[in-house]
Amino acid sequence: MADLSLKHIYKVYPNGTKAVNDFNMRISDKEFIVFVGPSGCGKSTVLRMIAGLEPITAGELKIGDVVVNDMEPKDRDIAMVFQNYALYPHMTIYENIAFGLRMKRVPKDEIDRRVKEAAEILGITDYLKRKPKEMSGGQRQRVALGRAIVREPKVMLLDEPLSNLDAKLRTQMRSEIVKLHKKLNTTFIYVTHDQVEAMTMGTRIVVMKSGFIQQIDTPKNLYKYPSNKFVAGFIGTPQMNFFEGTLKKVGDEVVIDFAGSDAKITVPYSMMMKTTPSYLNGDKPVIIGLRAEDISLDEEKVQKSAAKIKVKISHTEELGTETLVYGDIDMNGDGFAETNTRVIIKSGGFKDYTPDEVLEAALDISAVHLFDKDTEESILPRIPEYNYVDCVSRGGKLSFSGVNIAIPPAICLDEGACELLIPPTAITFGGDIPAEVEGCEDISGKVLISLEIGERRMFALSDRKLPEGKTAISIDLKQVAVNMGGEQVISPMPTVNTLNGTFSMVKSKVQRSDGKKQKVRTYYANIAGKQLVMPEEVYLKMFSALSGRKVYNTTFDYEFTPYDFTLAQDGLEGEVQAMLDYGSELFAKVKVGGSILYIKAENEVAGKVFLLPEMAKVSVIEKERGIRIV
Amino acid sequence: MSSAKSAAAKAKTKRILNIVITYCILLIVAFIFFFPCLWLILASFSKSGSIYTFDGFFPTEYSVASFNQLFTDTVMYNYPKWFLNTLFIAVMSCILGTLLTILTAYVMSRFRFKSRKAMIKTTLVLGMFPSFMGTIAVYLLMTQFNLINQQWGLILIYSGTAPMGYLTQKGFFDTIPYSIDEAARIDGASNFTIFIKFILPLSKPILVFTALTSFAWPWSDFILPKMLLIDQDLYTVAVGLMSLDETQFSRFAAGSIIIAIPIIVLYFCLVKYMINGMSAGAVKE
Repeated sequence: MADLSLKHIYKVYPNGTKAVNDFNMRISDKEFIVFVGPSGCGKSTVLRMIAGLEPITAGELKIGDVVVNDMEPKDRDIAMVFQNYALYPHMTIYENIAFGLRMKRVPKDEIDRRVKEAAEILGITDYLKRKPKEMSGGQRQRVALGRAIVREPKVMLLDEPLSNLDAKLRTQMRSEIVKLHKKLNTTFIYVTHDQVEAMTMGTRIVVMKSGFIQQIDTPKNLYKYPSNKFVAGFIGTPQMNFFEGTLKKVGDEVVIDFAGSDAKITVPYSMMMKTTPSYLNGDKPVIIGLRAEDISLDEEKVQKSAAKIKVKISHTEELGTETLVYGDIDMNGDGFAETNTRVIIKSGGFKDYTPDEVLEAALDISAVHLFDKDTEESILPRIPEYNYVDCVSRGGKLSFSGVNIAIPPAICLDEGACELLIPPTAITFGGDIPAEVEGCEDISGKVLISLEIGERRMFALSDRKLPEGKTAISIDLKQVAVNMGGEQVISPMPTVNTLNGTFSMVKSKVQRSDGKKQKVRTYYANIAGKQLVMPEEVYLKMFSALSGRKVYNTTFDYEFTPYDFTLAQDGLEGEVQAMLDYGSELFAKVKVGGSILYIKAENEVAGKVFLLPEMAKVSVIEKERGIRIV
Repeated sequence: MSSAKSAAAKAKTKRILNIVITYCILLIVAFIFFFPCLWLILASFSKSGSIYTFDGFFPTEYSVASFNQLFTDTVMYNYPKWFLNTLFIAVMSCILGTLLTILTAYVMSRFRFKSRKAMIKTTLVLGMFPSFMGTIAVYLLMTQFNLINQQWGLILIYSGTAPMGYLTQKGFFDTIPYSIDEAARIDGASNFTIFIKFILPLSKPILVFTALTSFAWPWSDFILPKMLLIDQDLYTVAVGLMSLDETQFSRFAAGSIIIAIPIIVLYFCLVKYMINGMSAGAVKE
């Protein structure tokens, strides 16, 4: 039983192919995690890296509290079930299951007990003397499972174990694996390309595409709150309907205009509060996503609905309990081709629809999904990127909804109307701005707090739920951006300082206590003409990411937060350009070489300064391959 | 109806004709291959012993005297000694050669290392040159290592050269699913355990093939022993028989027949292992 942590995991093959990109995840003990995605998305590679069958290019993999990057598979206390079973053909089923225990030198009677117990659980007791070739596909897969469970591993890894079975057997084995998970009470990581398997088995699902994590969430949340169009389309059968269109906010309403057709609906703005405001001007194309069950042809629902569109029916697919009705919101569309006007609607079982008939369909706008047309990212995220607040800058104060905030000296703002972009993380509880907690929502371990400030709805993040009612907040203005006259006049203060540099090693001789000289190697980060000693845990990771002498010929980005520097007598030489006083905190803007750094300062400083970065806290990025090594 | 019957009759005639032609060709080919053997077998039973007394192709009188002579008249030509020498060289070369070939093939099939591809290509290109091209170089090397007129010199050459032909074995290992190795690694097996407990048991056909070829070459080779062995006591059968007087032809033929027997027996005993399908049931195909 163990937690698993994957931090900035990369897999780059020698030919430069990046199979896995910056994979970050924490898996709790006893979770059933499913990696899902199309072929070649990197899901099996991640699993094989966890198993130790594939070397990790960069990143840190922990099982329990132990970093296992360079540990042999047998020492990781994991077990794996392969897609093609990978049974030992010349051994009997008993020997197959017992082999791992024999390797561990478990006493014979204990092996016998465990093998028989596993066989009992999987219903293969009668076949223990057989060879794998005498068994069916389903039975072989049970043997493979038996071989894994008999080792009582901390983590069970399953690589598409059911994909070679027929549909009926797959459904049966699916429930058996879930049952097994409950019985064994251990962490399961399961790879599949079948979204039905993912949805029915996983406590959490990781959706992957082209080596990148698209979303990690529970099956319910993935279905209800996909973070991008790929996830929305991948999860759910039939696939979500995607329409192109625009959104325009008119007063307290938003007009949704469907491109390629005459369809247009008006919905209250309150239903689209979290939508990124820049998409509400009617000039940015968006993708409107609605699932087949969120569009209804039921007459009663259509009559009651305020959001309805016309659909020309093309054909139907009867599935027994339900009928899938295919149509087009473009009256000239054929309803067959996958266009951005084609629509699939779930209707009751065995209902007759006439082809080419034009019907009205009711849309459930509370279930609508909106995506940017180019990036395909959700523009209606569960945690909004910013709270957009219209306010006025006057007399050294920012005023909105009856709230006045003193503008700190670090922010030089002209007087006039402006728009604040406040990230939810910038709102902290405790302060002097009165607010009211309206509700709390648990989102992937974070709590999104819905606040009423004056008459304005805003969102903040907290690590715990807060009771509804009055509270007080403060806003961290160094995280806030300000727009004035359509242009960003104030940017948030950067939270990361990037310094460009190389890596080197110097050999030297030091005198030991016994008087003899010993050769010592010291490793340095070369930044702005200065050599900074690298801690062991950092340079070891760099060596494992870049083999041979490559590490000495590579350029790196060294990243530090503003809090990782101290002012010293020696170090990186810089020139103070400005002091940024945010009221509660003071920062110095320092030019070092060609880079501008923001560093936390205790007092005002000016002129030439020396900065000493805390090298243990450095993040190292290899620029060429775009890999975060540390 | 009648046209259907005639078509069927035509098809039957064609089928019979095909079979007849095929068998005729097979008989001719078999005769071409078998005739020299038959002639050698008959010559070994020649009473006179000399090829000059043959009546045309075949001997005039038959006896088993030549076979007796091989094992009784050992003063000048010690056939039993030559036989034992050959057996020793062939068995040792077979053991060492098979081991080296299989290990080379396993490494090339299962491990990925720098210059692996270059090594495969090099051995492929080197294999295209006839082996006797290096005879003089081998002779000089053996002289340097003081291995002339020593059986271990021959064994060293045979077993050292054998891994050059590892590609067939590598091809076989490539067909054993890699996921078996991975499953075993997770179960706690080391590379050596995987080789011994999984790869070898699954590779019986190719092991038998390798062992047979590693045995057959030194068993019947003439050029290398002729070049490296000087003392008659160290001769192999092939070199020894060549040293026979030309009047001793039936003895030569008898010696050739006896030397062929072990390899034929070995082949018939081991052929049952040279079947595929050892890895059936391991993975879903």
